[in-house]
Amino acid sequence: MKCPVCKEPMIVLELNQVEIDYCHQCEGIWLDSGELDLLLEGSKDKENVIASLSKKANINEKKIKCPLCRKKMDKIKTDYIETIILDKCVKGEGLWFNKNELHKVLLAGNLNTNNPVFQQLKSIFEYKFKKN
Amino acid sequence: MWELIKANQRKSQILFVMMGLCLITLGYLIGSAYFGAAEGGLIGILLATILWLALSLVSYFAGSSIILSVSNAKEVTPEVHSQLFNVVEEMKIAAGLSKMPKVYIINAEAPNAFATGNSPENCAIAVTAGLLAKLNRDELQGVVAHEVSHITNRDIRFVTFAGVMIGAIVLISDLFLRGFFYSGGSSKRYNNKSSGGGQAQLIIFVFAILFAILAPILARLLYFAISRKREYLADASATRLTRYPEGLASALEKISQSSEELPTANKVTAPMYIINPLKRKGMKISDLTSTHPPISERIRILRSMAGNYNYQDYQKAYSNVKRTTAKIIPDSELAKVITHVPVASAITRSTPISAKAHQRNLGDIMMAVNNYSFIKCDCGLKMKIPPGFAKKEVICPKCGKMNHVISS
Repeated sequence: MKCPVCKEPMIVLELNQVEIDYCHQCEGIWLDSGELDLLLEGSKDKENVIASLSKKANINEKKIKCPLCRKKMDKIKTDYIETIILDKCVKGEGLWFNKNELHKVLLAGNLNTNNPVFQQLKSIFEYKFKKN
Repeated sequence: MWELIKANQRKSQILFVMMGLCLITLGYLIGSAYFGAAEGGLIGILLATILWLALSLVSYFAGSSIILSVSNAKEVTPEVHSQLFNVVEEMKIAAGLSKMPKVYIINAEAPNAFATGNSPENCAIAVTAGLLAKLNRDELQGVVAHEVSHITNRDIRFVTFAGVMIGAIVLISDLFLRGFFYSGGSSKRYNNKSSGGGQAQLIIFVFAILFAILAPILARLLYFAISRKREYLADASATRLTRYPEGLASALEKISQSSEELPTANKVTAPMYIINPLKRKGMKISDLTSTHPPISERIRILRSMAGNYNYQDYQKAYSNVKRTTAKIIPDSELAKVITHVPVASAITRSTPISAKAHQRNLGDIMMAVNNYSFIKCDCGLKMKIPPGFAKKEVICPKCGKMNHVISS
């Protein structure tokens, strides 16, 4: 799979049985729709988080193409914890997090320390966060 | 084993002759419809036979490679999935094959498997990544044994040839029917000499149309009848090879419970798979037209063997479940008995794996097939690097260590 932003081949990271696609160049992250479900398994906030990922955002950010289906992705706005603009595949293949977007999600996730998703992702990117 | 192969070959020959008759009648009727009964029929027969021979030659020499590439199967080395290779090798030895079959993995989530090739010396077994991720070793062994049985029972060649013959029949009928309807249904420009001849010609034409519609259906029914029987037989041989009917039974159960469709399977390749890869929604498949026997029945037969694995046990279970006296295994084979040696609980039941672990297993197999390289950083983070990755080193995002990329 190629990074939708810088077109570099993406590597796959795995920790505690969780697998995510990661671009080592721009540090963006791709989550398959199924992966997000798996990540959220057992979380009380699962329904809320997924539901919050459906609002379309009316902004003029450059649209990027889905790495799987090659269609232009929708910009969506999630205000579950903090307002963040993400890219979502129109066919529902998955979600794209730019470098800073993920950072924001994770920082916001700190407020909600019980959420296993944020904990997990934070642990994978420990080094990157210390640097930022 | 030889008796079984012979019985299979006899059945195949009968079927072949009947399908061949279908083809020849079709050729004759169409030929005489277009060019007149006398010489037209012969021309038709000749053309139909030539078409079938040409297709057969292609399928004999390139059939399995066409099928494998159509199914998106990739040949793999033991490093990709050593367990699969071990199991295939075990079954190869158990079945007495002289050469190791080539092993292919299909990049698909739906669990399924098939064997192909034109002889036991030149054959291949293909399994999907989903099958490898879902089954434990005993179950995988059951499936591989079933496929190896198709090879030793000479089913694979039969499936290829019969498939090609159906293909030829369908092609001819289709050409004829389309040509007929698009030319406005007129045969006058071909034969317009006498009005009396025209009448006879009309009757032949009607027959030709009817037969062109019926022949593909007839050929398929013949094919299905035999391919269903072959599935039972392969199950019987598989339990003899593994001496553990429950392995195959629980594999079939797991495979049938999956809801994924196999996107690369089509009508021609469907009969080759261990279970029908094309799932029709909302429709009960009639027994007459399905390529495979009902799975629940196959499982019931295997389970009612109660841990025995001889042909006579399978035959008995088959008769009990199906409530028939029909023989699927020849008497001389039934007499051959392997004495039951109780295995000191060598079978370990694996605990059911979580959805997460399952998805990861599946992903790992698919990535290994596609030449990904795997790096494990000292901090415990696993990185999977795609084959197109240009850099020599990659920073671990968890601990910041530089990891060397081993290009595959």
